[in-house]
Amino acid sequence: MQIRDYVLRRLMVLPVLIIGTSLIVFTLTRVGGSPIAIYLSHEMTPEEVAEIEERYGLDEPLPVQYLTWAGGMLTGDWGWSGVAAAPVRQVFPNKLGATLELAVAAGIVAVAMGIGLGTYGGSRRDRLPDHLTRVFSISGAAMPIFWFGILLLIVFWVGLGWAPIGRSNADVFSSITHPTGLYIIDALLAGNWTALVDAIWHLLLPAVTLGFGTTALIARMMRSSLVETLSEEYVDAARAKGLPEKLVLRRHARRNALIPTVTVIGLSFGFLLQGTVVVEIIFRWPGLGRWMADAVLRGDQATIMAYVMFTSVLFLLVNLAVDVMYAYLDRRVVLGS
Amino acid sequence: MAVEPAVREPAVAFAGGLGIRLRRFGEISREVLRNPTTLIGLILIVGMIGMAVFAPLLIEPNTPNPNQMPRDWGALNEPPGTPGHVLGTTQQGGDVLYGVIWGARTSLRLSLIVVSLTVVIGLIVGSLAGFLGGRLDELLMRLVDVFLSIPELIFALAIAAVLGPSFGNIILALAAVFWVKYARIIRGQVIHIKQNEYVDAARVIGDSGFRIYMKDVLPNSITPVIVQATLDMGNVVLIGATLSFIGLAEAGLAEWGVLVSQGQAGISAGRWWASTFPGLMVFLWALAFNLVGDGLRDILDPRTESRR
Amino acid sequence: MAHAPEPAGQTHAADAVASVVGLKVHFESRAGRVHAVDGVNFDIRDGETLGLVGETGCGKTVTARSFLRLVPMPPGIHAGGSLYFHPHQRCSHCLGAGCAVCEGTGRLPVTCSACGGEGCRACGETGVKTIDLSTLPEKELRDIRGNRIAMIFQDPAKALNPAMTVRNQIAEVFYQHRTQEVLERARLGTRPNPLLRRHAAQRSRLIERALLALPPLRMQRKRVERVIDDMVASALAETQIPNPSKVMERYPHELSGGMKQRVMIAQALACNPDLLIADEPTTALDVTVQARIIELIKELQSRHKSAVLYISHDLSLVRRICNRVAVMYAGRIVEIGLTEEIFANPLHPYTRGLLAAIPGRSHDRGQLVAIKGTVLELIDPPPSCRFVERCSYAVAVCAEVDPELEDTHDGHGVACFIHNPPDMAVELPSFSKLTS
Repeated sequence: MQIRDYVLRRLMVLPVLIIGTSLIVFTLTRVGGSPIAIYLSHEMTPEEVAEIEERYGLDEPLPVQYLTWAGGMLTGDWGWSGVAAAPVRQVFPNKLGATLELAVAAGIVAVAMGIGLGTYGGSRRDRLPDHLTRVFSISGAAMPIFWFGILLLIVFWVGLGWAPIGRSNADVFSSITHPTGLYIIDALLAGNWTALVDAIWHLLLPAVTLGFGTTALIARMMRSSLVETLSEEYVDAARAKGLPEKLVLRRHARRNALIPTVTVIGLSFGFLLQGTVVVEIIFRWPGLGRWMADAVLRGDQATIMAYVMFTSVLFLLVNLAVDVMYAYLDRRVVLGS
Repeated sequence: MAVEPAVREPAVAFAGGLGIRLRRFGEISREVLRNPTTLIGLILIVGMIGMAVFAPLLIEPNTPNPNQMPRDWGALNEPPGTPGHVLGTTQQGGDVLYGVIWGARTSLRLSLIVVSLTVVIGLIVGSLAGFLGGRLDELLMRLVDVFLSIPELIFALAIAAVLGPSFGNIILALAAVFWVKYARIIRGQVIHIKQNEYVDAARVIGDSGFRIYMKDVLPNSITPVIVQATLDMGNVVLIGATLSFIGLAEAGLAEWGVLVSQGQAGISAGRWWASTFPGLMVFLWALAFNLVGDGLRDILDPRTESRR
Repeated sequence: MAHAPEPAGQTHAADAVASVVGLKVHFESRAGRVHAVDGVNFDIRDGETLGLVGETGCGKTVTARSFLRLVPMPPGIHAGGSLYFHPHQRCSHCLGAGCAVCEGTGRLPVTCSACGGEGCRACGETGVKTIDLSTLPEKELRDIRGNRIAMIFQDPAKALNPAMTVRNQIAEVFYQHRTQEVLERARLGTRPNPLLRRHAAQRSRLIERALLALPPLRMQRKRVERVIDDMVASALAETQIPNPSKVMERYPHELSGGMKQRVMIAQALACNPDLLIADEPTTALDVTVQARIIELIKELQSRHKSAVLYISHDLSLVRRICNRVAVMYAGRIVEIGLTEEIFANPLHPYTRGLLAAIPGRSHDRGQLVAIKGTVLELIDPPPSCRFVERCSYAVAVCAEVDPELEDTHDGHGVACFIHNPPDMAVELPSFSKLTS
C-alpha cells in the first residue's frame, strides 16, 4: 500500500539524517576544545586521564575517534557531565521525566486551547471573536518566552503569591515513590492528594508559559484553515443535502480544517522542546533544559552533545509521525514526491 | 444583425524583468498601507529603527564603550520615575532607558548582519543547487535537511556555546542556523522557474543562461525571500535575545536579553522594571516585523484567503 | 411532456412544481450594491426540463442557489420576490401509470392542507400545497434540501468532500431523510433502541458513538449500516456506475471526472426529489464525457419523473435535453419559451446574438462571431434596457425604459420593445436595421 511504502522510505532516510546530525555535533566539539573533555572529571588522576586517552583512542585519526564516540553513544556511554558531577547517562532519565511532564502539559494546553480558539474565531469570520483571535495569535508568535514567563512570575508569584517556583515542595515530593518519573502520574498512582495538588500547582505557570506561543500558532492555523474550508464548495453541497448546520460544521468543515492543523501541531513540538530551556531557567525546573543551559555556560560538552543528539532524534521522529499522519488523513497527498 | 469579427490578441504577457516589478512595488506599498495591522507594524518598525539610528542623539552615549551599560553607583535599583531615570535603574545602576534605546541599536545591528549574511549564503547555495542539479543538488539538500533536523534555538545554543560566549559569536551562530531556509526557498524557486515555459520562450529568443537568471529567475524568487527576510528580522532578534538571556553574551552589554536576565535577580524583591521594559522591546520588535511580514505574505502570495 | 403552452410569464401555473416570482437578490460590495438577480419570474412545470441560459455573471447561478437558500446572506440580500415550491406525489388514481386525472404524467400536486383544494391565501388561490422557500424556517427547509429539491454542482471535484468515502457521503442523505425506512429495513423491531434511532438519524454524540461500538448494540448498528450500504449501492447502480460496491469505498479523488459527476447525480436523486437543480453539471468535464452525462440526466429524469432546472452557458447542450428555455441577461429573464421555438425563432436580440455565436457549419471558415460590447456593470443599474449598449436595434425608448417580460404568442415570452411595444407613442426598434 502506498502509505506503507511512504513510511518505509522515510524510515530509511532517518539513519542518514541522524548520522549527519552526529557528524555536525562531533565537528562542533572538535572546534570547541579538548576532545577528551567529555570523558574527564576533575577528580581523575593523571594515570586515569592517560588511560582514558588511550581507551577512547584520542591519538587515533579523526574518523576513528568519531566512530568510538558514536559507538559510545549507542552503547550508553555518554560521557561525564561536569555540571552534574556524574555520568550523563545516569542523570538523564530523571531530568527527562521533569521536562517531559512540562512539555506534555504545555502541549495539551496548547492543542486544546489552540483548536478551540481557532475554531471560535474561524467560524465567526471578520467579527469581533475573529479579530481577538487574530490579535492573540500574532502576539503569541512574537512573544519572547522568557519575557512572558517573567511577567507571569511578577504578577502571580510576587504580586499575588499564588504559584510557587520549582517543580515541587521537597517534603511532599519525597513522601511518595516515583515509578514513572512523572510527578502527576506518580501522585495519582500513589493516591496521594497532597502530592497531586503540589504537582499541578507547580506545573501551572511553567506549562502556560511554555504553551502560550504554541497555542497562538495552532489557533492561527486552525482559524485560517477553517475559513478556507468553509468557503469550499463541498460545504455548500453538504448544506444542499439537508444536513443540519452543526453537522456540516463538524463533519465537513472542522474535520477537514484539522488536517493542516495537525501538521502545525507536530511542528510546534519542536518549539515546545526549545522553549523548555528558557522556561526551566526561569521557573527553576529541574529538567533537561536547565541542565543544558548550565552545561552551555560551563562548557560541559558531554551534556551538550547528548542533549543536541537527543532532541534532534526526537524532533526527526515526531516530524516523521506527523507526516505519516497527514498522509493518512488527507488522501489526496501525493505520498513522498 | 451587427457583428464584429472577434479579434483575439495573442496573449503576450512578457514581463520585462525588474522594471515591471518596480511598478508593482508601488501597488504593493499601497496595499500594505491599507491593512491596519500591517500599518501598525510598519509604524513600530520605523519607531524602533529610528530609536536605534538616533540613539546617540536621544541619550548620552556611555564612555568608553557605548554598547556597555553605564554604571551609576549612586543610583542602584531605582524604580521608574526617579529623576534622570525614567524607567528606573538596574542592580548595577544602569539606566533602563539607556538599555532600551541602545539595545535597539544592538538589535538592529544583529538582525541586519545576520539576515544579510543568510540571504547571500542561501542565495548562492540555493541557486547552485537549483541550477546545477544532480549530485551537487542532492548533497546540498541533504545538508540542508540535516541542519533542519536540529531545532533552531538548540542548534544556535550549541554553536554559541562551543565558540564561546560573546555577542559576535551569537551573530555567527544565528547565521549558521538561519541560512538554510533561504537556500531551500531559492532552490525551489529556481527549479520551479526552470520548468516554467517562459524560460524556454526566453531561450528561444536567445537569452543566455545568466541573463535568464538575472531577468527572470531572480526577480520571481525575490518575493518569498523578502517575506522570509522580513520575518527573520524579527525572529533573529527574538532568538538572539534568548541566547543572551541564557548567558551567551558579555555581561553588562546594552542588549535587551542581557538586561532581562540580569533583572531576574531583583524580581523576588519586587523590582520588576529592570526585566519588564527590555523584554517588552523584544516583544515589540518581533511583533512589528511579524505583522509586516505577514502582511507582505498575504499580498504577495497568490494563494491568499479567498474573499467571497 | 406535451402540455398546452401557457402564457410565458405566468406564475403559479396549475402544474408548476416551482414558481419564481419577482425574485431579487443583491450583494453589498465595497463598490456598491450589485443587482445580481433583479426581478426574475418563471415557472418550472412538473416533469419538465427547463434550461436557464446566460453568460457568466448574468445571475443564473445565484437564482439556482436561491432555491435552497445557499446564497450567503451577508453579503447577499434578499431584496424582494419569492420562490414557491409545490410538492408533488404519485397520482393515487393510476398509481403513477398515467390517467386522465393526472393528464398522463402519473403525478399530482399535493393539495393545500389549509383549504383542501378550494383555494386560499396560503396557497395563492391555487389549491395546491405551496411552500414559500424564501421564508421557510430553517428546520423545514432542511427537510426539503436533498429530499424534495436536490442540487448537483458544477465541479464534482470540489463539490465532494475529499476526506470522505463515496459511500459515507451518499449515506448522509439516507440517514437524514430516510431514517424510518432505514430502521425498518434493518429489522430492529418495533421499538428500536433510542441510541440506534439517533444513530440512524445521524444525531449521535461522541459518547453515544463509543457506546455503539460495544457488542450488544454493535450487531444492530452493523445491520443498519448494511442497509445503508445496499441503498447507496442501488443509488450508484442507477447512474450506471460499474461495480458500485467497490466504487462506494473509494475516495473522490480516486475517480474520474465523469464518475464523480455520476456520484453527485446518484446522491441528488437518492431520495427521488421533485426538482433537480443542475448547475452547469458538464462544464468541468471532457467533451466526450459530457454527452454521456447529459444522456444520463435525461434518462434518469424521465424515470424519476422529476423536474430539472438546467443551468448552462452552452446553448447547444441545452437544446439536447430541455423542453423549455429561459434566457437570462444582467439579472433578468429576457426570453422564455419552448426550446424548438426559441431556436427556430429567437426574438430577443441577445438570444439572436447567442445563437449566431455558436460555431457551426453556416459560418465561413476563420470567422467567429461575437456580440459587441461587454456585460453591464450590475451596480445600481440604469433604468434603461440592460442590453441597450450592445443592441444593434436600439432606439430612443430603449435607452430610457426597461422592457418587461411579456407574452408574444403561445407561451413564448420576450422582454423587448421590438415585440412588445410600450403603451406610449414612441419610435419602435425593428429588425430591419441591419448593419453588416
